[in-house]
Amino acid sequence: MPESPSTLSIEEFIQEVFEENFELLIAESGHAISPQAKQVALEQVLLYWRKLRDVAESVTDTEVLLTLPAQTTPQGREFTIEGVVDIVREDEHVIMYDIKTHDADYVRENIELYKQQLNVYAHIWQELRRQPLDAMAVIATDFPSEVKSALAHLDPRALDAALERWEPIVPIEYDPAHKDRTIYAFGEIVDKIQNGEFPPPPLEVLQTPIKGGWRQERFGTRVCRNCDARFSCDSYRQYAMGNRRISERGMEYFTEDDSNQEDWRTASLDTMFSE
Amino acid sequence: MNLNDHIRIMTQKMLTMEYLWDLAGFRPNPQQREAILHVDGPLYITAGPGSGKTRVLLWRTLNLIVFHDIKPDEIFLSTFTEKAAKQLTDGLRSLLGLVTNLTGQPFDLSGMYVGTVHSLCRRIISDRRRFFTDRHRQRPPVVLDDLGQYFRLNNVRTWNAMVSYAGLDPDDAAEHINKIFSVDSISRHRAIEHLRPVFNRFSEELLDPVTIRSQLDTYSWDGFSGEQVDLLLTLYEGYRKTLQEGHLTDFALLQQEAFRVLNDFSGSGQVFSHVIVDEYQDTNTIQERIFFELASGTSNLCVVGDDDQALYRFRGATVENFVQFPERCRAYLNMAPRRIGLETNYRSRTDIVDFYTRFMRQIDWHSADRKLVYRVEKKIRAHRQDAFPAVVASMPNKPVQACQEIAVFVRRLLNEGKVDNPNQIAFLYPSLKSVQVERMKNALEAQGLQVYAPRAGRFLDVDEAVDVFGICLLIFGRPSLRGMGRDIEGFREWLNIIEERAESLIYHDPRLGRFVADRRAELQRALSDYQALQRVVARNHWDTKQPYNPEMMKRTLVSAPGLSTSGRKLVSSAYLDRIVIKRIQEGRPFSLDYIIRRATSLDWNVLDLFYRLMGFEHFKAMFDQAERQGDEGPVANLGLITQYLQRFNEERVSIITANLLEENQFQGMFFNSFLFALFRLGESELEDPEDPFPRGRIPFLTIHQAKGLEFPIVVLGNLYKQNRGAPLMERLARPLLPDKSSEPLERMSEFDIMRMFYVALSRAKNLLILPHFKGSPTTSAFKPFLRERITRLSEFDLDSLPTSRMEDDELPKIYSFTSDYLFYKKCPRQYMIFRKYGFVPSRSQTMFFGSLVHRTLEDLHHELIRRRKLSQAQPQSGGDHA
Repeated sequence: MPESPSTLSIEEFIQEVFEENFELLIAESGHAISPQAKQVALEQVLLYWRKLRDVAESVTDTEVLLTLPAQTTPQGREFTIEGVVDIVREDEHVIMYDIKTHDADYVRENIELYKQQLNVYAHIWQELRRQPLDAMAVIATDFPSEVKSALAHLDPRALDAALERWEPIVPIEYDPAHKDRTIYAFGEIVDKIQNGEFPPPPLEVLQTPIKGGWRQERFGTRVCRNCDARFSCDSYRQYAMGNRRISERGMEYFTEDDSNQEDWRTASLDTMFSE
Repeated sequence: MNLNDHIRIMTQKMLTMEYLWDLAGFRPNPQQREAILHVDGPLYITAGPGSGKTRVLLWRTLNLIVFHDIKPDEIFLSTFTEKAAKQLTDGLRSLLGLVTNLTGQPFDLSGMYVGTVHSLCRRIISDRRRFFTDRHRQRPPVVLDDLGQYFRLNNVRTWNAMVSYAGLDPDDAAEHINKIFSVDSISRHRAIEHLRPVFNRFSEELLDPVTIRSQLDTYSWDGFSGEQVDLLLTLYEGYRKTLQEGHLTDFALLQQEAFRVLNDFSGSGQVFSHVIVDEYQDTNTIQERIFFELASGTSNLCVVGDDDQALYRFRGATVENFVQFPERCRAYLNMAPRRIGLETNYRSRTDIVDFYTRFMRQIDWHSADRKLVYRVEKKIRAHRQDAFPAVVASMPNKPVQACQEIAVFVRRLLNEGKVDNPNQIAFLYPSLKSVQVERMKNALEAQGLQVYAPRAGRFLDVDEAVDVFGICLLIFGRPSLRGMGRDIEGFREWLNIIEERAESLIYHDPRLGRFVADRRAELQRALSDYQALQRVVARNHWDTKQPYNPEMMKRTLVSAPGLSTSGRKLVSSAYLDRIVIKRIQEGRPFSLDYIIRRATSLDWNVLDLFYRLMGFEHFKAMFDQAERQGDEGPVANLGLITQYLQRFNEERVSIITANLLEENQFQGMFFNSFLFALFRLGESELEDPEDPFPRGRIPFLTIHQAKGLEFPIVVLGNLYKQNRGAPLMERLARPLLPDKSSEPLERMSEFDIMRMFYVALSRAKNLLILPHFKGSPTTSAFKPFLRERITRLSEFDLDSLPTSRMEDDELPKIYSFTSDYLFYKKCPRQYMIFRKYGFVPSRSQTMFFGSLVHRTLEDLHHELIRRRKLSQAQPQSGGDHA
């Protein structure tokens, strides 16, 4: 992390560390993300700073690693659960935040998943680490479509209004009953991974609209259409067969979304031309 | 003080190492215990195979952190592979998590330096906070990996610049260079393959061309003249110059760069209070210098290794760094290290341990005057005591028969359930290019057994590569390939093979045939659109470099005679209008050339094409298998193909524009340049093979690939490795090195061969199988064993062999809530493809995105915390108001 002088504005600082992290991740993972995805990632951080400045400025412990070691799966394998949270301590009041790159509506609609996760974290924090905790919340950094379109149209007034209406903080209820069930379910998945069981979700799941998804999008559209491996997937093929919009164009095309495709062209040409 | 704090302090005081060992179910032996509890001064751990060295490293680090108040940031821990580093940090995080939950004391490992020397060097050169006084330094250079280094040198511009710098004529420079290595060839490829190790070695030995040149006549070489060495030095200088100009560095120079940073920074010996290095027998000179420099302030340098398992001389490693560590410590630190030998072997049965111990005694490890021993004395004892034979040989026979006998035996082992999966039986070879490999493979296949050998021979020859690249060939068309020579002939032959294969695939799958035809038509259309637009440009006397002016040009372009519908759509797109205007407003308008390329670009690249192909039955079946606990081999290979395709996207063509389709340019780039380079580089050693190996297949590995692994049953497939004398590189480098106590050149190769076989023999847990080939050469150290009464396969009592079940790694694995549990829950198949097999995604969003956002947020929070503290310290300076 560059330790810049305080004269560097926070937004400049974000841009700078963002670029550094991007390079580092390429070095670590051996691949990158598309330039447009990179742009969205940067916007998420910048907008987090604009929208949630008061939270950002009061964080006292960042990226706290929580570990739950020595767990055993139903089939007897030993494993450790790990997660990362941010902590705000203010006047004896402690809040645990889990920052997600998901959108807030999705989080609200699928609150059970997040409840499971944060309650395991709360258990580690309170019971094992014996730290006080007063509240928990998810911060969802994926901004709503209203903000997206304001950004795309370079309209600062619309952006301000959209940011005003955006509610990225989703409180999570404390419920210790969640913990044991979740840890057990976690162990089952560890067994499945170790046993080599990797079937795709069944067709019914793909046909089900995602709760909180945009325009009642179904799993098969929202998740699978963004998956490069969909062409060889049994569930997706059945799904596409029964879906007129996709099957009309066959599965022979590479993408069904023109504006994404234009973004892709722009970004790819940018890299080719910059050389 | 509240009760909680009270309890915490009580537990902290009561916490002992014994208690933690108990909790984790670990019972160290006295040597392990001593090594774990050692804290101050240099430590020299000689660790035999299977002696629990990873655990010792893990617990030793934990001891420092938990009981000696050493912050993780103060620890530098270098491992041989990234996988080993991950294993160690995972284990450490699990154990520290245990401690945290007992005492409430949290530990943050993010600042700990743990990884391969290369990744740690990369970190040093960009760690402004800890290694630089001036924080506004320039960006660190981009690091080329081995393949990147090859492509850089293979680039005509770089090559010409380098050879011209050395005063050579680019036309015959390659021939000239090859001659230095006694090879009569005009191939640039071969010249590059000669130069790369030389350059790397020069860098690793910190050789300074100017100094050496000034004393050139004081040296003498076996096999090189002074002028030749002078030329190599100048080429090296030229190479470094071209790297500098591109703001690039390679792996070897990266270490030099890091060493320079340490030298320039006065406090570099104090940054870490503990420097720990694993696999020390495989370090080279520059690495040794870095480690001693880092430990210069504290003398806390702990090295772990086994000279008998040194394998990497061909990469510049010098086993002497380990064997002579006590002398080096005295020289650098003015101190003698504590030596601890980990000699209890927890892996292998008694007979196996006895066998390899006696094997090493077959040669004399002393210098001619008997004053020096080139081996550390040790006594390995097996923990698993039993009196039954565990090393068996085939009957002395012709190789075909011996292989057959072994294959039949392996079939029996599986039938009788002695192992539960073929992937528990490893075949190890000095080289996978040997004729014995093919024989054994055929014998196994005759028994209905399948082999997994992704890097046996050439990766491009594996079935999945032939399939994928064959279809690419049909789509893009066959490149024209000029020239002669063995490599080009071989590549032409490969092109024939993949073309035939693809023809057969589309014959059996007409849908695939239509798909290929559609893609060809699409390419043709893009090309004809391009020509149509070029004609309009010519007719209007425009210059493609001139800025694009939509008012003047758009309509003319859209109505270009012969332009296809999709071409028209792309030129007139509203999206394009928007960005064109934006760019004009910003004062950096697009060129006409850009618009034409864009309008004639495809909406897919080679990686997109790959994923689309996977939808056809032939490929889909491979995924189906892997999803259902079947054969994983093909999918593992497909994953590797995505990595190569991504590389092509990144370095060459990320979007296919029609101008590249003119005159077969694209075919030239993809086949003749990119794939031909991979073809010529041939087998590239897989550093970190997947472990466990794909289910359902018998792994065939080089002994190098097997380093650090263990298998219930090992077949050493070939008992012969030819002694070719000291490698050329050693003969070139040796006269230039100051140290005269190194292994003598005339013995070096003999020693290395012994060590390599030692590694192979010590991989076996329950059974070690040796072929006894008659009429084929055998390395002489094996001969006494084959002559004396060794158990033969035919008389081996299978009941005496313990049954082995597939075991998970001994250290508990860490699973992340988000990137494992939730990812798997969302889609197990996606998890398998992208997380388990490392497919490089083309369009999917990946963990990369989340990591990028999270890391940046973390940095932002740290920065805000820092500024807050700063403003609290100096109340007059206001906060930031961005």
